[in-house]
Amino acid sequence: MATLSSLSLVTTRAVANVPDTTVKVPYLNQPWKRVSQLGCRRMQAFRAVRAAPDGISEKVEKSIKEAQEACSDDPASGECVAAWDEVEELSAAASHARDKNKDSDPLENYCKDNPETDECRTYDN
Amino acid sequence: MAVSTVYTTQSLNSTCSISTPAKTHLGFHQKQVVFYRRTSKKGSSSGSGSGSGSGSCVITCSAGDSQTVVIGLAADSGCGKSTFMRRLTSVFGGAAEPPKGGNPDSNTLISDMTTVICLDDYHSLDRTGRKEKGVTALDPRANDFDLMYEQVKAIKNGVAVDKPIYNHVTGLLDPPELIKPPKILVIEGLHPMFDERVRDLLDFSIYLDISNEVKFAWKIQRDMAERGHSLESIKASIEARKPDFDAYIDPQKKYADAVIEVLPTQLIPDDNEGKVLRVRLIMKEGVKNFSPVYLFDEGSTISWIPCGRKLTCSYPGIKFHYAPDSYFGNEVSILEMDGQFDRLDELIYVESHLSNISTKFYGEVTQQMLKHADFPGSNNGTGLFQTIVGLKIRDLYEQITSSKTAAPLEATKA
Repeated sequence: MATLSSLSLVTTRAVANVPDTTVKVPYLNQPWKRVSQLGCRRMQAFRAVRAAPDGISEKVEKSIKEAQEACSDDPASGECVAAWDEVEELSAAASHARDKNKDSDPLENYCKDNPETDECRTYDN
Repeated sequence: MAVSTVYTTQSLNSTCSISTPAKTHLGFHQKQVVFYRRTSKKGSSSGSGSGSGSGSCVITCSAGDSQTVVIGLAADSGCGKSTFMRRLTSVFGGAAEPPKGGNPDSNTLISDMTTVICLDDYHSLDRTGRKEKGVTALDPRANDFDLMYEQVKAIKNGVAVDKPIYNHVTGLLDPPELIKPPKILVIEGLHPMFDERVRDLLDFSIYLDISNEVKFAWKIQRDMAERGHSLESIKASIEARKPDFDAYIDPQKKYADAVIEVLPTQLIPDDNEGKVLRVRLIMKEGVKNFSPVYLFDEGSTISWIPCGRKLTCSYPGIKFHYAPDSYFGNEVSILEMDGQFDRLDELIYVESHLSNISTKFYGEVTQQMLKHADFPGSNNGTGLFQTIVGLKIRDLYEQITSSKTAAPLEATKA
């Protein structure tokens, strides 16, 4: 339980600094909803850390289904092959996105572009 | 310091477009192409036009040597190209990053000395186009080799180009981005050596040949975290792409100057986890500015197990093999490593016994491997050979640039 709560803390900080992440935590603004939605929201936040950003992950899932459908008629056709190629391409994109998100620290990213702001100043002596 | 002289004729109303050099202290020697147009009486005042109306000329100013060294890297997707790129750019110093302020989905990486271009940007068909025609990205019909050749040639001659962007997320072709000629251009993708004209532009080419079992294991590792994927879907995806891969991508390995072949280990009988790997570095003989790495005695056949009295290794240990051989009709030298490194002193011990690795100081290979200890393959032959190839490329670059003479300034009239 402790680890789950620390994970959700991390994701909320990410939301505060980097507004374009797709992790949604509305229960913070609406605490009366917190009790009922706490379970599934935390599960969603947890899953987002492991898989790629939602957009790409959904695309991968969709493309796999489409490829399986396309290949059910004729496994050797061009459509089947192209569909699986698309799955491969999207999986590669998802894996790259996962790596990028894993490494990125919101504060470091902000300071790379704005080193003169108060949060980012370093003092050597 | 970058010095660029512009020769002007009198009565020149210049609407010059000079791209500003990005990094200053390393001295970007670029050839700048300057377009100007002499304004006529009823001329419009729009921006620089190339070849609009009469009397528009092209002045090419070139400061010092501007020949870019071009390296080609071919591999299937999910085979370690990105890791190789990061190691390579790290050998030259600095980390490669996507261009700032541009398309966030750009595939290009830029560092001080190198620019890495992904050849997927030269797809002629986007994802929907390929789906309609029923072709994969591996098929040459989905790629514009003419544009690839022209742009790589232009960059090699020091001219900046507007390269299209293929967005892997949306599957569409995005508006182009400007690529300025770097000192070292790396083109990585599925088809760097497919087209003969592009092949002739490459100063050095590398092919990453991953065997089917290892590829399957790597793709499982990569994709199992994605919901929707299962073992069957991964297998189906690999098998569906195999015919096109064997027909179009695999034949490129006979043109490569260096092939890194990754196979399952022979040290563990019936191993199917794919954790321990056998990696072979196949180096072509007789390539200009490239001398192959060897073990103990060049041209002889050596089998070497470094673990023994001086060095203790844990299971399954390390085994090296070096021999001359013939590969697709070419004379090659093959250096092979089976097993993995567990400790720092194993790595430094092995490095001290390899010859011709083009290091600038003792322990450079070890230092580079340690710098990126979190990269995949840092404890086995893939990381070792990628690092060594990176040092070889640095050596090749230094040999090429030291034998260059300055290109003359020229002015041509249209």
